[in-house]
Amino acid sequence: MRSTLSYIFMTMAVLCFAIPALAQGGETSHAVNWVAIAAGFSMAIASAICGLGQGKATAAAMEGLARNPAARPGIQLGLIIGLAFIESLALYTLVIIFVKVK
Amino acid sequence: MSAAVPPKSESFYGAAATRIPRFMIFLSLLFTGAAWLRFGGRTAMGLACGCTIAYLNFHWLEQAIARLAERVTSTGHAPSTRSVLGRFLLRYLLMALGGYAIFSLSPGSLYGLLAGLFLPVAGIACEAVYELYVALARGV
Repeated sequence: MRSTLSYIFMTMAVLCFAIPALAQGGETSHAVNWVAIAAGFSMAIASAICGLGQGKATAAAMEGLARNPAARPGIQLGLIIGLAFIESLALYTLVIIFVKVK
Repeated sequence: MSAAVPPKSESFYGAAATRIPRFMIFLSLLFTGAAWLRFGGRTAMGLACGCTIAYLNFHWLEQAIARLAERVTSTGHAPSTRSVLGRFLLRYLLMALGGYAIFSLSPGSLYGLLAGLFLPVAGIACEAVYELYVALARGV
């Protein structure tokens, strides 16, 4: 079942790339705004990786809290600062995108 | 048997969570005043708006983590998961609404708003410098 699903998704991915490859070129084609496309991809990558980082940090902190509830103040402070820094990384990407796309 | 008294350094570093918001308030006033003098009223208003959103964001993040920790350690009144998650996601909604409002009302002050969103980083940096100073000067 899993291999069938993976084949279906692979075929769909190939089809997504096949449509622009077979499209008519020449005078009807327009200039592609690669900066906007790159900005969208970079924001998506930054958000995804920051989300993963926040999830890992929160999971590790909660595991530590469950094992040692007496260490709550230190773990809580570290988690707050860590999450604030991880969020700011996504904001850095947003600012760079605004500066470059505008 | 006497109760265990936390050491001086532990109480000092434990108070960082209360010092960081104070640093943030001080820095937001300082930066807004400086932006008003250097770039004008619109940018300063955008910066003040960004600082307010960043402060609320940090405050709600603190609250959400405290509630999550209460739930994990089962101390005090354990809040429901829905309310914890709701507050956590409400922060992003507020930031998006603030950004949209600034973008549609006054696009010129957008850079001020974006700069204001970095207030927690500046507050944490100030706290780090203060802790370094106290560690070197007082040996805490």
